[in-house]
Amino acid sequence: MGPDDIRSRNNVTVHGDGHRTLVFAHGFGCDKHMWADVAANFEDDHRVVLFDHVGAGQSDLSAYDSGKYGSLDGYARDLVEIGEALELRDAVVIGHSVSSMIGALASIARPDMFTQIVMVGPSPRYIDDTDYTGGFSRQQIDELLTFLEENHLGWSAAMAPQIMGNSERPELSERLNGSFCSTDPDIAREFAKVTFHSDNRGDLSRVQARTLVLQCQQDIIAPQAVGEYVHANIPNSEYRLLEATGHCPNLSAPEEVTKAIRDFLHPSR
Amino acid sequence: MTSSTPLAEDFADLYDEAPCGYVSITPDARIAMVNLTLASWLKCRRDDLLDKPIHEILSFGGRIAFETHIAPMLRLQGEAHELALDLQVGDGEKLPVMATAREKRGPDDKHLFTRLTLFKAAERRSFERSLIEAKIRAEERFSTEHDQLELRDQFIAVLGHDLRNPLAAVEAGARMLERGDTLHSRQTMVIKEMRASLARANTLIDDVLDFAMGRLGTGIQLDYTDKARLKEILQQVVHETESINPEIEIVSRLDSIGPVDCDPDRIGQLVANLLSNAVRYGDRGSPIVVEGATENGDFSLSVVNRGKPIPQDAREKLFQPFERGEPSKNDKGLGLGLFIVNEIALAHGGKVEVESGDEETRFTLRMSVSTQS
Repeated sequence: MGPDDIRSRNNVTVHGDGHRTLVFAHGFGCDKHMWADVAANFEDDHRVVLFDHVGAGQSDLSAYDSGKYGSLDGYARDLVEIGEALELRDAVVIGHSVSSMIGALASIARPDMFTQIVMVGPSPRYIDDTDYTGGFSRQQIDELLTFLEENHLGWSAAMAPQIMGNSERPELSERLNGSFCSTDPDIAREFAKVTFHSDNRGDLSRVQARTLVLQCQQDIIAPQAVGEYVHANIPNSEYRLLEATGHCPNLSAPEEVTKAIRDFLHPSR
Repeated sequence: MTSSTPLAEDFADLYDEAPCGYVSITPDARIAMVNLTLASWLKCRRDDLLDKPIHEILSFGGRIAFETHIAPMLRLQGEAHELALDLQVGDGEKLPVMATAREKRGPDDKHLFTRLTLFKAAERRSFERSLIEAKIRAEERFSTEHDQLELRDQFIAVLGHDLRNPLAAVEAGARMLERGDTLHSRQTMVIKEMRASLARANTLIDDVLDFAMGRLGTGIQLDYTDKARLKEILQQVVHETESINPEIEIVSRLDSIGPVDCDPDRIGQLVANLLSNAVRYGDRGSPIVVEGATENGDFSLSVVNRGKPIPQDAREKLFQPFERGEPSKNDKGLGLGLFIVNEIALAHGGKVEVESGDEETRFTLRMSVSTQS
């Protein structure tokens, strides 16, 4: 795969100008639009990269492979490939939710490529374990997966063309305008399975990059105890508790998230 | 109140008693208002629901879907339709609903509320669930059957192929015996019949192999390299049929055939199959006619025999695999012959027509002499 193939596979867009590159990675349930407001705030003095994970947004759905994306490593490999396609060095990866860990794995694989990480609502493991509180029981995760299996509605704007069996006619598979966060329901279910069954606690200590953990209040996906755990286990990390509530401060409080990232990247200012 | 004055709708009552559930939530996902319909579905008093996180009335799956997918989608596009959610009623019971949601924004575009309208959807969702299950079952069955078919086709292909070797050995033996000079006439005849049977067996294997390969998706491959040899190959096929069936007279009229873009071996195979049919079903005493011509850019090739007409209903199914005319004692075919005849015609962009009456039964291949047209 050449750089152009990678860029179209992951619907990569590059904006802005600056000697440092910020790569924004979206989490489960949405697409790169999730980062639009925050990313726009950095375009004046940074090179800003946005992309869709394979299976989400306007990525190439035909590139989806249950085997490769059966673990977060597959997604991390894509992130490294995007970095290679853009010839990144000393870049910052800013990951929301599960992409915090995807960013960490990419940085472990290529410490020279991603030297700083911002994690928004990270969790290295969602399911409770002995001496570890992830916030979810295994039974709850099973219930979530059953829910996703049975409830396709509301996930996909591209569902109709698929039902018509026109996946070989791309003009019919184009997403409707103004349709955000749409994703193939089957891929959404598999991504949920990979995300909520992941356990990357052992990887945290291997992260060499300078890391910022951004934690929200009342986040039912990644509770505060989990954010604190991540901070405690990544050697060179900072922790910041935001005023924002919920799991998506990049959408509900973009200014606060922007400021926190700026403070981390440019501590002297 | 007179009967001519329409009753004014009471909007507060319409909200509370609407035939659907209404709930408004604050930007930090707490219930700001809920109508009585929804409160009664949830078996709660309205006051007990106010200021609670919306998560508390959603099933666990719905909660995660709301937080990771629906809430971001609403922030980005302002509204969302046809959302499938499960409400959590009390401890165990779940109430499937369909939701539509829209953000209420203030004059400065500030997010004030998210309003959701909910419709009960238990039956619809159980129907959808059964559709999904049926789809999964159908896919599984299809996949199993597809695998079995493929295995069967491969088996047929391998078997057909492996049968050629012992047949070749028998044929070589028959040839050797034929060359002996001490044979009396009875033995010579037996050997001739053996070779006729061998030729038929080889044709059957060709047909079966074509059939299996066709089913495997490779289709019939055409090779136009030797197209100039068409007439020669057709003559050869006629001679072979005659030598195998010395009691039958074959009249061939092939002189009017000009150049044709075709795979001559395949056209030969087509004629061999038609001839073998004519021999099998035609009147023993009457000659079989093979006639071909190229005219006005069209190529036609017919095999004609006298005999009982083919009934109309049988004619319709004639070209389907494993279909045969009326079974007779000397019926040795698999019913693949005409299927393959038709496949060869189709591969050449042509077709095979059949006319059958008291006078004669005539199969005609019609195709263009040129692949360009």
